[in-house]
Amino acid sequence: MTDRIQKLTELTLAGKMYGEAKSTEFERNDIFLSECERDVKHICEYILNQEPIITEYQTMTGFFNFDSSVVDTAFIRSGHKNTEELMKNFYLKQVDGLHVLDWQHATADYKKVLESGIVGIIDDIDRSLEHHTIPEKREYLLGLRKIAEALIAWCEKCSDRVLEYSRTVENEEYRKNLEKLSRTLSNVPKNAPTSFYEACLTIYVCFSCSLDSVGTLDRYLSRFYFDDLSAGRITREEAKEYLQELFLLLQAATPITSPNFTKGGQSHFCVGGYLPDGSDAYNDLSALILESLTDLPTYIPQVTLRWTKTQPKDVLRFAMDLERKDKNKRIAFQNDEKRIQAYTEICGFTYEDAVSYTTVGCNEPAFPGGIVGATSKLNLHKSMERVFHNDYEKIADCKSFDEFYGIYTRELFADLDKQIEFDNKCNAVRARDVNYVSALFFNGCIEKAKSPTRGASDIVVCSPEVLEITNAIDSLIVVKQFVYDEKIITMKELISALQNNWAGYEDLQMLIKKKGDFFGNDTERSNAVARRFFDSISGFLKGKRNLFGYPILIGDLIGYNPHHKWFGECTKATPDGRYAGEMLKFGFGQSGGYDREGLTALLNSIARADEQGIRCGSTVTNITLDEALIKNDDNFEKTVELFRTYFENGGVHFQLTYVSKEDLICAKEAPDDYKHLRVRVSGFSDYFVKLNEAIQDDIIARTEQK
Amino acid sequence: MKATIFDIERNSYVDGPGIRTTVFFKGCNLRCAWCHNPESQSPKPEMLFYKNKCTGCGKCKEKCPNALETCSLCGRCTLYCPHDAREICGKEYTVDDVMRVILKDKVFYENSGGGVTFSGGECMLQIDFLKEILKECQRYGIHTAVDTAGHVPFEFFERIIPYTDLFLYDVKCFDSDKHRQYTGVENQLILKNLKSLLAKSTPVWIRIPIIPTVNDTEEELQRIKEYLSSCGIPEKVELLPYHAMGEHKYAAIGKETQIFSVPSEEKMKHLKNIFS
Repeated sequence: MTDRIQKLTELTLAGKMYGEAKSTEFERNDIFLSECERDVKHICEYILNQEPIITEYQTMTGFFNFDSSVVDTAFIRSGHKNTEELMKNFYLKQVDGLHVLDWQHATADYKKVLESGIVGIIDDIDRSLEHHTIPEKREYLLGLRKIAEALIAWCEKCSDRVLEYSRTVENEEYRKNLEKLSRTLSNVPKNAPTSFYEACLTIYVCFSCSLDSVGTLDRYLSRFYFDDLSAGRITREEAKEYLQELFLLLQAATPITSPNFTKGGQSHFCVGGYLPDGSDAYNDLSALILESLTDLPTYIPQVTLRWTKTQPKDVLRFAMDLERKDKNKRIAFQNDEKRIQAYTEICGFTYEDAVSYTTVGCNEPAFPGGIVGATSKLNLHKSMERVFHNDYEKIADCKSFDEFYGIYTRELFADLDKQIEFDNKCNAVRARDVNYVSALFFNGCIEKAKSPTRGASDIVVCSPEVLEITNAIDSLIVVKQFVYDEKIITMKELISALQNNWAGYEDLQMLIKKKGDFFGNDTERSNAVARRFFDSISGFLKGKRNLFGYPILIGDLIGYNPHHKWFGECTKATPDGRYAGEMLKFGFGQSGGYDREGLTALLNSIARADEQGIRCGSTVTNITLDEALIKNDDNFEKTVELFRTYFENGGVHFQLTYVSKEDLICAKEAPDDYKHLRVRVSGFSDYFVKLNEAIQDDIIARTEQK
Repeated sequence: MKATIFDIERNSYVDGPGIRTTVFFKGCNLRCAWCHNPESQSPKPEMLFYKNKCTGCGKCKEKCPNALETCSLCGRCTLYCPHDAREICGKEYTVDDVMRVILKDKVFYENSGGGVTFSGGECMLQIDFLKEILKECQRYGIHTAVDTAGHVPFEFFERIIPYTDLFLYDVKCFDSDKHRQYTGVENQLILKNLKSLLAKSTPVWIRIPIIPTVNDTEEELQRIKEYLSSCGIPEKVELLPYHAMGEHKYAAIGKETQIFSVPSEEKMKHLKNIFS
């Protein structure tokens, strides 16, 4: 790490690189303008009123934060009045213990601005104006044009400020850096960048307008990198320095006072994966990106390696080696084979569109220039509760597992329908808002003169999330095994046990926990039940679309900490051995120690459960490995082959935590001694001691694989 | 045909190359003082009782009146013990039973250069079953390793050599008196078999457990090295440091154990240099 990057790192981790938003006064006469004119005028005035962060160590600036006084980005969404009202009433506030409204993600399409600059975007707006005659649409487009011009003016302002500041800098090298920055800001992102440095700066400035994922960074930057490298305009080390500065500035976009400052899921992006021609995008720049990021002691951004069968074998090994040495756990792994199949077959996207995806947040898919079309998370286990606690008369006399399964899935589908209906209502409220800032970098907005909140982009996955899949599958297995296959108990006994919350049935509960053929043990029965369950969901959702016509692709993620606790608290006893109120299980993977047959068994179970690829919505497989195991190089090589095989078998995702169970127990008891212990929580990593007790217990209970 | 097996461990990294499934046969004709799988020694299934976990709740007796006195290994007590204080060790398997488990991870073996290891106990004591399952693995193209202490007639080796890709061969002490003192048997047969085995073309990895005060001297290892040099060249020599992880299991089968110290990392490094 160079001295300059070292200094910037120190400032970033001290929270000193965060640019506080500057409040802006607006004229009272603005109230007489139309809503669009007023919003646009305020956004422009707000942007031009901001001040860039400048220190002598930078070669990039131009980012600004919003303070919610104006309509801001499609990800943050403050200033989107109807969405704000919706969030105030429903965000993380469960509805009937069944579903909960949650945040969403968005990634800009940086391709256009890198190819033709903001002037190119303005040209597109002008062309679109020629085609649109409806006044509201023309007003929207003119608004976008003004914001684009304001961005150019903002960069001119930044350029002036940087030049002014450079005169106070004594260090010659740093002063020259700033003079170059000042010159460059006069040129980009207004015009198309022509060098790697200019491209990095363009992405950074435009990141202000879509404050989430920087997308498929190696694809965006490759041509600049290799052109500069071959022409001798840049060295690999210099490129690394620019990348590190970019990553530090992405980290700095979150204030240190925010709990999100240490959460890797913010600004999650991808490297590698299929290109439209079927080759793999991974190249030397991808490797440099991974190296550059993991050399920094930061938390944001997090990166996913998109693995493909055509990727050179040493790539997975290289990335896993970086990952095992990365204390901040910033690399996750995704299988393109399964994902692309899902996007083309389930969503109906072209191959070219399908391969453009990136991973955002906790592993949700997003396509360049589109907001993720999901809004809620479903407690999938609620339907199981209902059949045993409300509609038990219907199942009491079921003669076969198939008969029981039919009744259960009717309840399950009813809940999925309710979730889709709830999402549609939320999307309808969100569609009352108009977004301008992100719209410049989102697909379809300019061509259709339509806000992204109203479904401008054609390439969006609507990925409502279903939680508690493992509990549901395990409960089905218990019914099949204990009631119908082995006839150890009758259905009426099981109903009675659950309705009494296992009181008087403690022996049965223990027997179930010890002998249950639970998911993850790679048995014929558990695998078959899991497969049937996924097929049922897949079949039910086939062809369904949301309010905007986006295809529905369910994911099994997990969201983050509170969901399983909340949903568990309002779900009564279930056949998987759970007491009423007990927390539900995280994601799709190790299930509180119920998987007893080792890691190959668990990975086989996961990989084989979901032939239809419905878990390609947003899926997380957290695996905890013994740290001592992975430190040994021979064992590490075997672990790489283990996960390569898992992907070849059809596994979709994995991310690793290396720790011993003893360490986690000690950390819970003596948090002060384990302040630096980071673990995978769901799709992101966080400090173990900062998690609530229920989540800590869940992570401890995940089977530690040796 | 059945064998008594006490564990099948999938995703094993330590018993040969690549990712492996290790099948532990029950029954051993050695009684190594440092054995970390003492439950493997008896050829018959047996009940393990972890006294430190038992709270005396009586659930075992409630579920099975024979649980404590005339146990017939029915297993009911293990199902209902809330603290997992009771466990049955050893179960009879057919070749098909074991193959069903082995085949589940075939693709992991293929990708990692791994396979199956038959260990124990002394797997060679159930030679008929071992030969059959080795043949079956060969039929499926699965790499096989046999982990043995070598105290069996060489004819047993000859029966399985055609179906075995690798032998993991334990050499514990070169001095025969010491060998008898710590393992219960002399080592002439073991060393003779090793010489005969190294003369064959099947690869052999030598595994030497390093037990402080027993065989952790440079002289002892030099003698083993010299003997190996006179026999032929093994593909690999592994030194395995003693660990006390089997200690609680001695109590569980009602036996006493001898505790050794754990060799230091420096000591292991030094001793490994002898074979490098």
